[in-house]
Amino acid sequence: MTRVIEVPTHFDDRSFDSFAAGFGEWPPAEKVLVDARATQWASPYGLIGILTAGQALAEAKREKPLLTVPTADEVKRYWARAGFFNHAAELFELHGKVPRSAATGPSDVLLDVTPVRASEDVHGVVHKISEGASRILHGELGLEMKATLRFSMALSEACQNIVEHAGTGGWVAVQAYTFRRRLGRRVVVIAVSDAGVGFRRSLESAHAKRFGERWGDGAALEAALIQNVSRFRDPGRGQGLAFIKRFLDQWEGKISIRSGTARLSIVPPWDEDVPMSDHLPHFPGSQVQIIIPAQETKGR
Amino acid sequence: MIQTIRIGLLLREAVASPYRDLVTRPTGAAVRTRIEATLADSKCLTALLDFSDIELVDLSCADEVVAKLLLTVRTAYFVVLQGLREDHHEAIDHVLTHHRLAVAAVPPGSHSPRLLGWVRADAREAFACISETGPLDVSGLSHGLGWSLCRSRDALGDLTLNRLVRPVGELYYPLQTA
Repeated sequence: MTRVIEVPTHFDDRSFDSFAAGFGEWPPAEKVLVDARATQWASPYGLIGILTAGQALAEAKREKPLLTVPTADEVKRYWARAGFFNHAAELFELHGKVPRSAATGPSDVLLDVTPVRASEDVHGVVHKISEGASRILHGELGLEMKATLRFSMALSEACQNIVEHAGTGGWVAVQAYTFRRRLGRRVVVIAVSDAGVGFRRSLESAHAKRFGERWGDGAALEAALIQNVSRFRDPGRGQGLAFIKRFLDQWEGKISIRSGTARLSIVPPWDEDVPMSDHLPHFPGSQVQIIIPAQETKGR
Repeated sequence: MIQTIRIGLLLREAVASPYRDLVTRPTGAAVRTRIEATLADSKCLTALLDFSDIELVDLSCADEVVAKLLLTVRTAYFVVLQGLREDHHEAIDHVLTHHRLAVAAVPPGSHSPRLLGWVRADAREAFACISETGPLDVSGLSHGLGWSLCRSRDALGDLTLNRLVRPVGELYYPLQTA
């Protein structure tokens, strides 16, 4: 028996739950086939979500899953350019012709799909992002110059959450694109995902008691994102997300974190998302998305 | 006597790579350990931490390097930061405020320090007054700011507790920055 999981045609944070639902109980007992043939577009969140699924299956010692690559050449080329297939080939048995990536010149891919397993990887990510981030954030999105450094700080803190809390590796990707339907403006999106223990298990020993029966994936996200708590007793911990929220508020940005069966978002005025979604299909680890839109005063 | 410590140099030793970004907790902890070792071998009372070779300081490193150093060396040294850019200020100010700590930072091209982090408003004003006019005693500060002796004493007490002035006899000296 093989369980076929369709990658949504338009694969982003909104359609992610249908992808997660395809897996059923985690880890699925059957061999898994991830079918991306019909996919027309995937956000960085979607791409690293696929890798996270592959990683979680590998760590659960399941049979190597299959991945059928998108049929559309343009889509395949873009995924290759984002570095997706380099990593997917390690986690999936790929079916379909995979183009060679040939990234030249400036690109909307600010940071290829990049594994994050240790602190050294965070140094590499921050170093890689510095030049392109300034070009996009200041040049295209109209943010002040110091925004580039805040952006790098946010990226650093988000990636460190994997190293410090997940108990396993994860992935990061950063891309600029136009949010036509939701916003009608250019945005930069940071996506960070891991296949680790998730917020609930990470915070359980230190904070579950305080929440009593309410404790679960949603309450754990609330504790981390709204109350800025950490599993560590060190009083200096938990400031990373607080800082990210502060500067996103200034730029009308959005952060959403999905972990286990819940997703919590700080929703800016331009978005119609709900702050808390609970009882979602389970997905391993944690997935973070940060969206920074072009500033309206520039008339973009 | 001042011990100048180049953070960029310690960073390169700590991560054994050419990166100039002070990011991640393990990196911050490694840099702090090196600062503490340098200070332990020094007879200087003031440590001038020079950030001028540093590109980015994230929250985790600001916490590990600056906040934890202040918590550790609180009774032994005076710590002054220099070579900070505006975005460095933001990260350091954020973590110090969280801990209710403060540190003096010398802006580029200046010898007059500013405070980052949290102190009471009176202490901040007293710090600025002493930095500008030089050493003062309680009555001198009272006279300079039009405060009562009690208010001046409290403000100087706050600054002393946070190692932001050097008390010598009855006088409170600004921190050495050069």
